[in-house]
Amino acid sequence: MKTFYLLLSLQLIISGAIAQVKFTGRVTDQKKITLSGANIFFQNSYDGATADSLGNFRFKTNLKGKQTLKATFIGYKPLLKQVNMDSAKTITLDLVLQESNDQIDEVVINAGSFEASDEKKAVILRMMDVATTPSAQGDIFGALCTLPGVEKVGEDGRVFVRGGESYETKAFLDGMNVSSPYLSKMPDLPTRGRFSPLLFSGTLFSTGAYSAEYGQALSGIVDMKTNSIETEDKSSVSIMTVGVMGSTTKCWKRASLSLMGDYVTTGLSNLINKQQVEWIKNPSGIDGTLMYRQKAGKTGMFKVFGTFNNSGSGLNYMNTQSGVFQNIILNSSDVYLNNTYNSMLGEKWMIKSGLAINYDLQKFDLDKDQIATTNQTVQAKVGLNRFLNEQTELKFGADWVHSSYEQKIRMGGDYRLPFTNNQLSAFAEMEYKLSKKFATRLGVRAENSSLLNGTTLVPRFSGAYKTGDHSQLSLAYGQFYQNPEDDYLKFAPQLKPEKANHTVMTWQYLTDLKTFRVEGYLKKYTDLVKYIKPLATDPLDYSNTGSGHAEGIDFFWRDKETFKQTDYWISYSWINARRNYKDFPTAAVPTFVSEHNFSLVYKRFFESVRTFASVTFSFASNRPYHDPNLQGFMNSRTQPYNDISLSLTYLMEILGKPSVLHLMVNNLAGFDNIYGYNFSNTPNAAGHYDSTPIKSPYVRQIMLLISIQL
Amino acid sequence: MKTLFIILALVTLSFTGFSNEAYQKAMSHSIEQLYQAKSIAEYVEVANQFERISNNEKTEWLPLYYASFAYIMISFQEPENAKKDTYLDQAQKYLDQAMVIEPNESELYLLQGFLYPSRMNINPMNRGIVYIGKMTASLDKALELNPDNPRIYYLRATMTFHTPEAYGGGAAKALPLYQMADEKFRIFKPKTELSPNWGKEINEAELKKLQEAQKQ
Repeated sequence: MKTFYLLLSLQLIISGAIAQVKFTGRVTDQKKITLSGANIFFQNSYDGATADSLGNFRFKTNLKGKQTLKATFIGYKPLLKQVNMDSAKTITLDLVLQESNDQIDEVVINAGSFEASDEKKAVILRMMDVATTPSAQGDIFGALCTLPGVEKVGEDGRVFVRGGESYETKAFLDGMNVSSPYLSKMPDLPTRGRFSPLLFSGTLFSTGAYSAEYGQALSGIVDMKTNSIETEDKSSVSIMTVGVMGSTTKCWKRASLSLMGDYVTTGLSNLINKQQVEWIKNPSGIDGTLMYRQKAGKTGMFKVFGTFNNSGSGLNYMNTQSGVFQNIILNSSDVYLNNTYNSMLGEKWMIKSGLAINYDLQKFDLDKDQIATTNQTVQAKVGLNRFLNEQTELKFGADWVHSSYEQKIRMGGDYRLPFTNNQLSAFAEMEYKLSKKFATRLGVRAENSSLLNGTTLVPRFSGAYKTGDHSQLSLAYGQFYQNPEDDYLKFAPQLKPEKANHTVMTWQYLTDLKTFRVEGYLKKYTDLVKYIKPLATDPLDYSNTGSGHAEGIDFFWRDKETFKQTDYWISYSWINARRNYKDFPTAAVPTFVSEHNFSLVYKRFFESVRTFASVTFSFASNRPYHDPNLQGFMNSRTQPYNDISLSLTYLMEILGKPSVLHLMVNNLAGFDNIYGYNFSNTPNAAGHYDSTPIKSPYVRQIMLLISIQL
Repeated sequence: MKTLFIILALVTLSFTGFSNEAYQKAMSHSIEQLYQAKSIAEYVEVANQFERISNNEKTEWLPLYYASFAYIMISFQEPENAKKDTYLDQAQKYLDQAMVIEPNESELYLLQGFLYPSRMNINPMNRGIVYIGKMTASLDKALELNPDNPRIYYLRATMTFHTPEAYGGGAAKALPLYQMADEKFRIFKPKTELSPNWGKEINEAELKKLQEAQKQ
């Protein structure tokens, strides 16, 4: 018996050796490109080989019967193949692998949008780029002004996109509305964004034809993505010529809490930097921000973002229109709370939900008069993503915004202008990737407003086709509705939403180190608000009979390769825009539009002196204004706008702690930019309408900051 | 009949024994090859071997660990940044799979702490802040799980060496850390023959370089 088994096993071994099968073949992809380095092996053994530089492989195996052969390669879908081992001693197989869609070089739907992200790969900007652009002075919206498609409007500070007013660009935070993204604004003086760029890991900036997920914006959207969960405890303090700042972060296993606060006062700064306006109270303010992140379950993330701001300023303002000096005191308070919860629901579903609350109060004291405006909004949003298969993703959701507005005016009597609105919206969108080269997105959005008493339904379309390894062509079209501004609705709630159509075509070349992008667009406005005269109080003085158009070409070039340790980008935009809206007697170029806009941002790290230097040069061609002393409408032009701004960041150590010394100089060359003129409402004794130029509050601005990591 | 059972049992035993032996053999052969690999092709070859082993040994974290390690090494050799990221994605994929099998292994956290700075080096200006934090957290966790893991001390020394003096780094501060790593390497005994056991030579070389530079 024993001998029998021994014999049997011996025979098995021998027959095994005899029955060894030789495998040879070649691995390629669909385009016959050889996949050198591919792994070819059998599921149930260690037997296998790596494809050589020509894609060829060969190996031997002792396996028998039906076996599964597997071939894998980075960026390709694994290939499984049944092979019958009993058929032959040598088997030759040519294997063809299919590319998987999750590669970086796949087509990306991006017509009309600029994305800054620290997480994604194929993006044009990183958040650090935004934070270190000198002309931006640490403001996200300021940094967006160096991108093509944005007009330089020095006296405003907000984002004006492609012939659109600033209110036409809406801000979002983790997909939720931010109804007051800017600090309160004094007349003719620029404002800035409320949030520090350091709070965000990404920003999606779209200058046209955006996704159906976004509504109530005629021209553009800015969606800021807050930082994810922190992994390291840290604290820092900063001292600036304009105040103090501090932050601290505490981490737990599945949660993190960050607190930030600052006190800003421009008293010292306004002494250092010569002011062209007369402050009776230097701008000052206090801010606080809380960010709490909690992981929930395997894939869930709960985020809380809360912020408050309290600020005040006072100005002795020459009101040219009425010909008197006015003392304007502005006090404002703003509270914003944003909660979001995102999670996978099984393998195929994803939920994104959020609740946001915004309270904003602005109080203007004009000599003895007072205007107090309160804006309160509550938003609830739910979105679901369904991954149908590797090519198809379905997105749909609904969102409810309740806003209540009230303006109290004390001006020789007490007046109240309140209104409330419930805005209900729903959207659905399908993204379909026909191949790695071609993708489309089709969407619709429906909106209903209780105040405007109507429902709108609009289509959105976007498609992209890869024209080369690093280049792609995109086309997008969309229709957009936006409710008229509060300043009109408070008098005339019978108005309809304003409407815009966008058509955008983009060609882009993008590698890690170089980007070139050219985008052409056509934009058409209808149903814009027109009125008989500014501040008309009769609802019948307002109508939706305005219209407008804008067309242009935007260029963007960024290069991190050519010069050592240097990164620069150039934006140029050409625009042709006309509007017949507000109290315009005829279609004309609006005052905020300049035909040519150019920006150069240059950044270089000087390692030997541990200094990071950035320079921005901005140019905008002349802007129109209306001079009542001359014939016709919008009959005059300002001088072109120029600005050179510089920032230097020096890395050092204070008391053994890593620290940063940061110097910013705005308008280094001291250009005397004039943005337009204010004219008197009535002519003087000589029959002439007096005017004053609108200028920046300072000629040159220098700011110094020292930040210490504790 | 009894004999038959015994033989059957023996055969089964020898089979499992064989399988385990095959695993040991394949692993030690591949590990040796890994430590000797120089070119991208050689690293890919050995990473593929680990993938094959892992494909059959679903409960073993070591083949995945080494496959991940091999891809990190590949990323160092690859000149193109976009490709570096692709290789590191693959390394991260293997590491994530290994973490599922063995969630409390110091060596896996250490490897994560090795992977993050590789990501950072691709674009230090933009990625620095994020990845230094992540690396520190991973190494802290690795230390918590096994304070005797000498590779933690080696990576910390390397990180310090490459951090600008202004930020608390530099050669002077790195030297004692390399010395400490050296001590840890001297007393370190890998858990099994197949357990990670790299870093000693490079640590010695770095230490020697620094000591010689100091003498001059």
